[in-house]
Amino acid sequence: MTTRREFLTSLLSAGAMGLIVACGGGAANQPPASATNPPAQPAAPAGAAPTQAAPAQAAGKAAAAGGTLTFVLENDVIDFDPMLSRAFVDRNAHYQIYDSLVRVDPTGKIIPWLAEKWDTSTDGKQVTFTLRKNVKYHDGTVFDAESVKWNIDRYRTTDASARKGELAPVAGVDVVDASTARFNLQTPFSPLYSLLVDRAGMMVSRKAVEAAGEDFTRKAFKAGTGPFVLTEAVKDDHITLEKNPDWWGQDNAGNKLPRLDKIIIRPITNSDVRLTNLRTGDAQFANNIAPKDVATVKNDSTLAYKEIPGLSYGSLVPNRKEGFVFNEGRYVKAISMALDRQELIDKAFFGVGTVGYGTIAHAHFAFDANFKPFEKPDPEAAKALVSAVGKGPLSFEFLVPSGDPALLQQAQLIQAQLRKADIDAQIAQLEFAQILKQQSDHVFKGITYVGWSGRIDPDGNTYDFNYTGRPLNDSSYSNPDVDKLLDEQRAASDEATRKTALRKAEQIFVVDDPSRAWFRFGVAQQLTSTKVQGLAPYADQIPRLQLASLAK
Amino acid sequence: MTRYIIRRVVLMVPVAFLVTVIAFGLLRLAPGDPVLTFSGDVRDPEILNAMRHSLGLDQPLPVQYVAWLGRTVQGDFGRSIRTHQRVGEAIVERLPATLELTGAALLFSVTVGLIVGTLSALNRNSALDLLATSLTIAGVSIPNFFLGVMLILIFSLLLRVFPPGGYAPLIDDPLENLRRIVLPALTLSAATLAVNMRQVRSSLLDVFSQDYIRTARAKGLGENAVIVKHALKNGLIPVVTIVGLQVGALIEGAIITEQIFFWPGVGKLVVDSLLGRDYPVVQATVLISALSYMLSTLLVDIVYGWLDPRISYSKAR
Repeated sequence: MTTRREFLTSLLSAGAMGLIVACGGGAANQPPASATNPPAQPAAPAGAAPTQAAPAQAAGKAAAAGGTLTFVLENDVIDFDPMLSRAFVDRNAHYQIYDSLVRVDPTGKIIPWLAEKWDTSTDGKQVTFTLRKNVKYHDGTVFDAESVKWNIDRYRTTDASARKGELAPVAGVDVVDASTARFNLQTPFSPLYSLLVDRAGMMVSRKAVEAAGEDFTRKAFKAGTGPFVLTEAVKDDHITLEKNPDWWGQDNAGNKLPRLDKIIIRPITNSDVRLTNLRTGDAQFANNIAPKDVATVKNDSTLAYKEIPGLSYGSLVPNRKEGFVFNEGRYVKAISMALDRQELIDKAFFGVGTVGYGTIAHAHFAFDANFKPFEKPDPEAAKALVSAVGKGPLSFEFLVPSGDPALLQQAQLIQAQLRKADIDAQIAQLEFAQILKQQSDHVFKGITYVGWSGRIDPDGNTYDFNYTGRPLNDSSYSNPDVDKLLDEQRAASDEATRKTALRKAEQIFVVDDPSRAWFRFGVAQQLTSTKVQGLAPYADQIPRLQLASLAK
Repeated sequence: MTRYIIRRVVLMVPVAFLVTVIAFGLLRLAPGDPVLTFSGDVRDPEILNAMRHSLGLDQPLPVQYVAWLGRTVQGDFGRSIRTHQRVGEAIVERLPATLELTGAALLFSVTVGLIVGTLSALNRNSALDLLATSLTIAGVSIPNFFLGVMLILIFSLLLRVFPPGGYAPLIDDPLENLRRIVLPALTLSAATLAVNMRQVRSSLLDVFSQDYIRTARAKGLGENAVIVKHALKNGLIPVVTIVGLQVGALIEGAIITEQIFFWPGVGKLVVDSLLGRDYPVVQATVLISALSYMLSTLLVDIVYGWLDPRISYSKAR
């Protein structure tokens, strides 16, 4: 009697669940019925549009216009709205859908995009952008200075805007005329351009935003001016981007871009499965390959792997707040001295990445290849430094995010290296959510192991992590000299002055009074089927798929 | 009967209330901050506080609970903190994929289990029986996260027969749907298939030794008729019971299988939401599961009365 009852209960549970949730609302992932394709626009006159460097194509394979490229992404895109986006992964879709005011070329130089040129006032507090003409959003509305003002005001004034902090130095935007917008700044702010490359400078259609309301961030259909149009987004399954035939961009030879007809983005969290999809031909593009798989993909003749130095870094984050072990800065320095960075890269990262000592990466203008403060591990010097503190052996809790065996292996190697200097790092694994909470509240006992994806301007890798009281300063670090230098580099308009200030600051927060122990710079990867042509990795790790084509 | 149903429905109210308290409270006890988790690279306290305010997370817990309960009884489960999608919509979108996967796995494990189990019983200790027994042990022993990866390796990477994952809606492309469901359904059904094969085999062996089978054979009935009409009919009763119980296990197993094959079902939604403390989604899925169970229990009792007239609810105390 009991088992029959359980049997029927199980069967009916499944059915009843369907009935209950059916009352909660219907699925709707298609574009609104009213949205139509924008009318065809004449291509931008030759010479007006900045041409885009397309890497040399593989010998023997002719590129063809058209085709569908499947891009496997490590996670699903969460927010299509650049204003709300908080996840790195979102930017992989944003760069295809939206144009921003400026962009970077593969060398990291800021180049014109929706803004054809810009002028900065002598006091550095006004930046005037001259906008590209004859550009329309995918929904047919016009892109102009009014649109720029509306977008920037939306980003900097909406309560829940994730761009609010980035655009805090912007006091307002004036519409000079239809194709000229003037940014008024509170103070001179050099990193502004690098921020306008990314989400803070991406232009979305006001009409699309207002029509979709709260759903815009998931259903941003026909909302950008970019090379591809978002036409479908099925959560946790796939995203469809279709060619924008009216896009203004062209390649070096003057051919209109984009070349592909369609891009399907599939979120696959498991790196092994992502790789299998490429090897079976079910996908043609990926940009996040686990270090353990790099040797395999390099030897696979059906795949093409490229990597360049990236902007991301790995570091050990100590809690330097008063009352915690690492309030003593010499302990942080001792850890930096004891680390064998090359061994970490060779053994724990399978040779992927480069040794790093600070925040300023190879691709940054302020990078100094001669800055190698802890080039050789020196456990004896580390021991002496710990001993000089006079509080006995150093022992601390080392928080490592759970769920990823690779992270644990890396942490264990660090633990073993520190043991040579008689430093006892006691590994404790916690969910990432819990570590983040402890970091944010500055209550973690010792050190955490959390990385940073990197930004194209060194300020984005440095300021918020080392400046007193800034939101990402998880180590509660405070050094007035560092604060002063970081403010100086923000106010300076020329790279040489900025570089000098940044280099001085890095010497302090890495060596003299360390805020963290940095050990590695990441790489920007690109893995494609050999059929994919025209693409090269960018240091920011985000693909520019308007350049891609598929071999016949 | 009507009075019985009314009484049961009334009794469900306090239980449902208790479920809402547990669904709401349990997750809040777990450490972690959903806003912080989903804030990614944005950590400006002003922005985070604005997000907490817009989600009502800055209110005292009892206020949050009452507000959530108020919306829930009106059928509004709120929006996901992670994706901003309406929770009801998120579940409705994913339910067909999960039901399809569990349905396919159940169908596979029952039909194959029945055929191979019967053949195994008929050819006891033969090579086929030994093979089936070995597969049974393997099916129960191999965890589905391992089996799934092995199947991908063999059938996707080496043989290139099936895609390594992904979902194609049945309505849009039935053939592609079939191609994509084979590996996840096989993975999910492995353990239940093994149990079903074993159960069919032992039930039939037990039935074969019964007097009425000997009688059927003695009166000259053909072997096929003996198996189908007499042995299987009686031998399947315990199998049916076990299969019924497997539905719940399959839905549980789908959580892992959906992760391996990036199958966009409810299981994947729950895991992603749990890891990130996406309160509205977890609360809604827990609540819906509990309510579904309560409703189906009531329906089972009603069906019992209808199936077996000896059960009289009017006399129930």
